Amino acid sequence: MTAIEQKNKSAITLRGSSEIICEYLDYGINSILYQRGLYPPETFKTAENYGLTILMSQDNKIQEFLSTTLNQLKEWLVQRIVNKVALVITNVKTLEVMERWDFNVQYEGNINQGNDQVSDKPLKQIRNEIRDVMKQIASSVAYLPLLDCLCSFDIQIYTKSDVVLPNEWADAEPANIKNAQSVKMRSFSTNIHKMETVVTYKNDD
Amino acid sequence: MSTKEQSVNDTIINMITNLKPRSMKLPEYSTPIKRSLSSGSNTSNDETQPFSKKPRHESILDVSYVGSPREIRRLRADLLSTRNTILNLQNQIQHMHGVRKEMQIMFDNEIGTLRSQCERDSKSIEELESQLQTIRKREIELKEQLSQETNKYDTLKIDCDAKIEMLEKKFSELSTQLKLQENEENGDFNKMKQRINELEMLYNAAQEEAEAYKKLTEELNSRLAECTQLKQDLELKDQLIQKTRLEIKSLDYIKETYTEIQSQAKTQHHKLSTYNDLEKENKKLKEEAKHLRDEIHNKLLLEEEVHDLKGRLVNYKEHEKKLATLQITKAQNDMYLEEWRAVARNICETTAPDMTLQKMLRSLVERLQQQEITLTSEKIQLESQLKTAQHDGKIAKADAEKNQHLVTELQNNIQQRQNLIHRMQKKLLLISRERDSYRKQLDSYEKDLTICMAPSSTAQPGANSYRKQLDSYEKDLTICMAPSSTAQPGANQLQTQKERIDNLEKVIDGYREMIANNVMLLFTEVAPIRIEQVRRLEEDINLLKNENNMLRERKDCLEIQLEELLVGQDNVQGRVVHSAKNPLADCLMQREIEKEKLAEEVERLKRKIRNLEEGLESSKLNESAISSKEVLALKEQIKASDTQMQRLKEYFKSSMQEFRNVIYMLLGYKIDKTSSSHYKLTSMYAERAEDQLCFQLNPDGALNLLENEFSAGLDELVELHLRHQKSIPVFLSAITLDMFNNKTMTTKTFDVDEDEPL
Repeated sequence: MTAIEQKNKSAITLRGSSEIICEYLDYGINSILYQRGLYPPETFKTAENYGLTILMSQDNKIQEFLSTTLNQLKEWLVQRIVNKVALVITNVKTLEVMERWDFNVQYEGNINQGNDQVSDKPLKQIRNEIRDVMKQIASSVAYLPLLDCLCSFDIQIYTKSDVVLPNEWADAEPANIKNAQSVKMRSFSTNIHKMETVVTYKNDD
Repeated sequence: MSTKEQSVNDTIINMITNLKPRSMKLPEYSTPIKRSLSSGSNTSNDETQPFSKKPRHESILDVSYVGSPREIRRLRADLLSTRNTILNLQNQIQHMHGVRKEMQIMFDNEIGTLRSQCERDSKSIEELESQLQTIRKREIELKEQLSQETNKYDTLKIDCDAKIEMLEKKFSELSTQLKLQENEENGDFNKMKQRINELEMLYNAAQEEAEAYKKLTEELNSRLAECTQLKQDLELKDQLIQKTRLEIKSLDYIKETYTEIQSQAKTQHHKLSTYNDLEKENKKLKEEAKHLRDEIHNKLLLEEEVHDLKGRLVNYKEHEKKLATLQITKAQNDMYLEEWRAVARNICETTAPDMTLQKMLRSLVERLQQQEITLTSEKIQLESQLKTAQHDGKIAKADAEKNQHLVTELQNNIQQRQNLIHRMQKKLLLISRERDSYRKQLDSYEKDLTICMAPSSTAQPGANSYRKQLDSYEKDLTICMAPSSTAQPGANQLQTQKERIDNLEKVIDGYREMIANNVMLLFTEVAPIRIEQVRRLEEDINLLKNENNMLRERKDCLEIQLEELLVGQDNVQGRVVHSAKNPLADCLMQREIEKEKLAEEVERLKRKIRNLEEGLESSKLNESAISSKEVLALKEQIKASDTQMQRLKEYFKSSMQEFRNVIYMLLGYKIDKTSSSHYKLTSMYAERAEDQLCFQLNPDGALNLLENEFSAGLDELVELHLRHQKSIPVFLSAITLDMFNNKTMTTKTFDVDEDEPL
């Protein structure tokens, strides 16, 4: 392991890759929450990342929820038991699922290396890929239907069956959408994790 | 010509003559010149002639002249010499002629020039002459003019002389007149001097008079000053008098006050004498005061009580109202009770007193209740039964629906089966056809077999032979039928033919029977094969069915997969996990809490509405108590501010009155404001109450005097002080003075010497 580290100073470890994924999810989910108008725009503040200005929620509850969820997700990503992360937007009145943002996770490279797996993909390139996806997310407002009802969101993590649930975690129902339409965004990869973003939304027509 | 010849001869003669004295030759030359001068034109002829006529001259000479040889020689020598001389002379002459010609040319030129000069001169002379003539004419004219001028001059001279004479005469006359006038003026001057003297005298006298007048004026001035001084004194005196009057008035006032004080003093004295009594009284009064204070305290308490009682009274009034309503309700209730009692009696069918009626009713009611209870229990039982029945019915319905479903499914199945059967039948048909074809093949094979091995089989070749025979018979029949239709060989032939046909038909029938038998035989042989075929087909059908089922299962599987692959569906492998404390759950929780809260609120409000409807105003009472306190506080505030206001008003009123009085006293006018910008002035010295001056304040801020009865009578003052001096104060003071004077005039009997007060 030390030898490898010495070889590739800029190498990305499994944990680092998980952190990159979680950072992307943090910014991506905040951006979606702002773009889709789930919370009032005045509770958001601009932050610079990936060469873009992204609006981040200042709501304590949301921040806390995201941090706990993403920390847990990071652990699971290291353990390679996550298949998919889904941001589910639900109508509070009817409990109907309006939108689902799927973040599909695929594990690349030599999985047998276990925790010693590293990637020598330049960080800048990964960040550029993430930036492209973020841009797509920001521009998705153009075609997504207006959410004109009181909505809330949930983050569901699709794991393998042998997951050990910590406290305050529970099984959830898969969020199916009737009369749905889906748009696939760009994907990016750290050469350890490949993240594919797909938005599925209820078609009003 | 003759003249010319003569002249030539003359010349020759002259020459001859001239030859002797040579000295005379030179003067001769001058002659031709002279002649040429006189007759120039003939000279050319003269020059040529001598050369041509020379011989003649000689001949003549020869002839005429005959002498001695010496003389002839000498003459000849002489002649020769003369001839030379002549030649010389001729040359000379020629030369001279040339010279003369030159000279003549010169002369001619000169003559031309001279002639032209002469002409010019003559012209100039003519001109000069004409000039001269004109000058002469002018001279004549001038002379005439001169003569005229002289005449004029003469006449003028004469006139002037006459004028001079006249002027001299005039001058003399004037001088004489001047002298006369001078004389006269001298006389006038004297007169004037005399007059001046007189006037001076008069002037002096007048000056003297003026001085006298001046003195007089001075005297008068001094007197006037005295008078003004007197006037001033008078005014001062008047003022003094007024002052004294005022003083008198004030003294009167003082006197009055003094008398009052005196009376007061007297009373005080009296009071002093009764001081002890008063003290006693005072003590009594103090006690009384204490008593009164206690009473006031009591009164306050009582007032509070009264206040409370008032509140209570209000409550009581309300209670009274309620009472009245209650009484009404009570009366109604009594009525109802009576009715009820009547009803009860009717029910109980008794005329017992009311006390027993209750018990009876109760027992009846109890009985009824018990009955009701039993009935209700029965009813409940029945209801439960009904429910169970309904439930059963529902279940049955569900079952029926299910069954119907099943039936429909079965029907569908049946239909499918029928379809299948149809298909199977079709297949069967196909198969039977196939079988036929096979059979045919079989037949053909059999035929082949019969051909190959005729003796091997007995029945089939028999049949074949029968068939062949049949075929041949049929052919015969057709052949026989053909000639019968074409020709008529005869009735016999026909009959035989018919018979043959019948026979043949019989034979055919027999063969047919045989064929049927054979076929039957054949069928009985084929049956087992057919059963096998059917079995095989059934197996096929079973196989197909199995396949069908498999495919169906596959299809179902695929459909399920497809559903899973649909966009909206979420494909789940493994577990879906989420944080229990997610925003959606929070949101839902909050919603639930809110819902509960709202439900509670709704409940509360409903209760409140109910309470309000029932008229229970416990909450309201509370509120009214609070509000009444506030109202009381506010009322007290209002009272306090009212009293303050009142006090201020009074103060303002008193000060205003004082101010007005002071103004009245100082300026002698009472000023009232009748309406906006209208002011009414009443003088202190007005004779009548109606004598008032009205002023209006115009928008420019100046005052206008309004005309009324009184102001109409003040024209002079208005003219002088308002129009001329433009001063209202002066106008007013003038009016004051005027009226004061009037009043003093009328009330001259002003008593100055009134008794002074003590």
